[in-house]
Amino acid sequence: MNFDFSEAEKAFVQAVEQFLDQCDTPEVMDVTRENMAQLVDTPERRAFMSKCGERGWLGMGWPKEYGGNETEGVYEYLLNESLARRGAPQIGKGVGIVGKTLIRHGSDKLKREFLPKILRNEVQFAVGYTEPEAGSDAAAMALKATRDGDGWRLNGQKIFSTSAHFADWYWLGARTDPSNKHRGITLFLLHMDTPGLTVQPMPTIGDEITNSVYFDNVYVGDEYRVGELNKGFQYISEALDLERFTMFTFSPIEQRMEELCAYVVTEQCDGRPLREDLVIRQRIAQLVTQTEVARCLGLRFVAKASKGGAAPTTDSSQYKLYATELSKRIANAALDIGAPGTQLRVQTADAPMRGRPELTYRYTVIDTIGGGTSEVQKNIIARRKLGLPPNF
Amino acid sequence: MDLDFSQEQDMLRETVQRLCSESAPLAVVRKMEDDPSGFSEQLWRQMGELGLIGLTLPEEYGGAGQSSVEGAILYEELGRSLAPCPHFASAVMSGGALALAGSDAQKQMWLPQIASGAAVFTPAWLEPQRGFGPQGVQLSAVRDGEHLRLNGSKRHVACAAAATRLLVLARTGNGEHDVDLLLVDPKSPGVEITQQYALAADTQYKVAFKDVRVPLADRIGAAQSGWSTWNTLMHDGIILLAAQAIGGAQRALEMTVQYAKEREQFDKPLGAFQAIAHYLADASAAVDGGTTLVYEAAWTRALGRPVDRLAPMAKLFACQTFRDVTAMAQQVYGGMGFTIECDIQLYFRRAKQLQLSWWDTRYLEELVASAVLDAGQPPRLTEDGRKTFKTPPQPVRAVRSRTELAKDLAEHANQRGRCKTYAEMH
Repeated sequence: MNFDFSEAEKAFVQAVEQFLDQCDTPEVMDVTRENMAQLVDTPERRAFMSKCGERGWLGMGWPKEYGGNETEGVYEYLLNESLARRGAPQIGKGVGIVGKTLIRHGSDKLKREFLPKILRNEVQFAVGYTEPEAGSDAAAMALKATRDGDGWRLNGQKIFSTSAHFADWYWLGARTDPSNKHRGITLFLLHMDTPGLTVQPMPTIGDEITNSVYFDNVYVGDEYRVGELNKGFQYISEALDLERFTMFTFSPIEQRMEELCAYVVTEQCDGRPLREDLVIRQRIAQLVTQTEVARCLGLRFVAKASKGGAAPTTDSSQYKLYATELSKRIANAALDIGAPGTQLRVQTADAPMRGRPELTYRYTVIDTIGGGTSEVQKNIIARRKLGLPPNF
Repeated sequence: MDLDFSQEQDMLRETVQRLCSESAPLAVVRKMEDDPSGFSEQLWRQMGELGLIGLTLPEEYGGAGQSSVEGAILYEELGRSLAPCPHFASAVMSGGALALAGSDAQKQMWLPQIASGAAVFTPAWLEPQRGFGPQGVQLSAVRDGEHLRLNGSKRHVACAAAATRLLVLARTGNGEHDVDLLLVDPKSPGVEITQQYALAADTQYKVAFKDVRVPLADRIGAAQSGWSTWNTLMHDGIILLAAQAIGGAQRALEMTVQYAKEREQFDKPLGAFQAIAHYLADASAAVDGGTTLVYEAAWTRALGRPVDRLAPMAKLFACQTFRDVTAMAQQVYGGMGFTIECDIQLYFRRAKQLQLSWWDTRYLEELVASAVLDAGQPPRLTEDGRKTFKTPPQPVRAVRSRTELAKDLAEHANQRGRCKTYAEMH
């Protein structure tokens, strides 16, 4: 048993930290937008991610034959946590969901076309699973794919494709067999500038943009089909099991908690230090403890994953469930503890903690929804870990 | 980073599991409820023979010299089985006090007997209407030649009737920490013990001291060093109790999951109802997270690193989880769980009592708050060499109204020219 990271792992963190020191500008480390982790949506953030690629940090865990380094997953975890702690963009969908799925199931053509670009950060992806009638029930997706010569015609709508307004390529699931819910979905890669595709931005209460995407007879060649026909949902689930963990980093939660503690340590109310308030002390004690529990659940996942074998899906779900619920509790507590000034919008100079809790409170709403809601995580835990019967 | 146990640690766990299933099945647990001695002689003797009583005591005095991690393994299993024994009172706290602050003579005389189980020591610490801190110790010890004279009363003294010696915390002065640790023979004139019955049906006594004379030679450590010794030991001890609590929570959850698979209502197992399944899933995350937190505290202590934050966090969270899981379990078991014959109630009653004992929620919260907030500087919660962003001294961008923000976002969204502009949308 050893809770410490190895010397090599610590040295890696140091190298990442030194690199981040050089890149530490407000344009890259976008602290005002709660580091919407996956988004490399400005020239500065794109350039930053390209530098990560130059250092060999994109696709570290990929097999060597595809340009990876076959490093253990713990390095990707450490890199992601370091990036998240500073508010930098994180190694996102390209390396994980798209890259690893292509490596496992993609044709040689797709591997040749996309894998080197992902490693060099030359391509950004949007992911299209969710539809208006297929939210938590992702397998209900109905975007219609019909055969047309050497390709397919896509008709329908996707929703909540968060990078669709700037991405180059679209990684999406479409219905190729209406008679079989789970075994009637196929994955495709589609260029975002294909005629018939319309993107409609939807601003969120977290000061972010997500999008609806409409498909009007959009053509995609069969060579851009990912893996086997009708096996898309299996690939999607597999990727989610592996990547769900990377989507919700621990560092921002811990960092917000530290910022709240620092506020309590240094500030006063009515001339009395906040830290002398017993109610605040009690709340901080509970939240600090729960923060450590969230970290422990993350470590369980990382430790198990590094042993190889099947992805520890239920550990990933337990971490996601606990950490995201905690994230909302911390956001709520920060508003309470600095009240009433905490209602002032982020970046208001005289607001407690410069108004960051106000944004966090709005922003963290999505944490317990995206990537599978808390309720979906509980169903996964109940069925796959505890062995309870199906309950819906 | 590796969260697996060594082969030796796995063997230790198997040894304890075997012992508990053979000598402390739930039938024995039930039999020992409210028993005047409080433990089964057979179980205690076997624990001694297996070297488990002195597991964490020094080897030169008959112990096994193992670390907090091994201690936590033992306690996790004791917690799962509810095995009734005075291990914590005798070996961990009393033996621990002797090992930490006792004289050579005291250690040679008592530690081997404590480690073998031949002697049972128990702390007499808490007092009626008093708290868990140093001010809670008000039983007075007044100098009387080469003796101290004790007057006052103690409560929640485990297994006092079977005790060879009481480890008494006594006040010798008005300073907050003027507390001594004294070894007192419970058969001394002026000591009166009365059994009291409690929530967990464990064996505890009220002990009255009336002009009880204790030789100065029976003081552990220097005068007025008692609270410091006790406080250090408590930080070690609560890690083991946290392990006990999380073990109990694990077992209670397993039992409840099993019940939810077997018990049917509305023509399907209880576990097929989301209302029930989600209770159990939430509990599973808390139990697993709590288990890792307990071992993080134990491992940190074993390395000799500070545990002033981790130890109280571990007991706070593990006891809270044990309490919450067993309360939920009672609900899932329904009416059956409300009957004495159902085993889940054994866990439910012990969970709450463990939370109230050996530093309760309030005391632990204060310890955690103090560790985080009173160090005079903003805290880092994990010392991992990572830097952190600070809210920059100047605003990165001006605060905008909702309308302005919407325009900004629309402009940003249209960076590739594929979305409508703000003007087109409005």
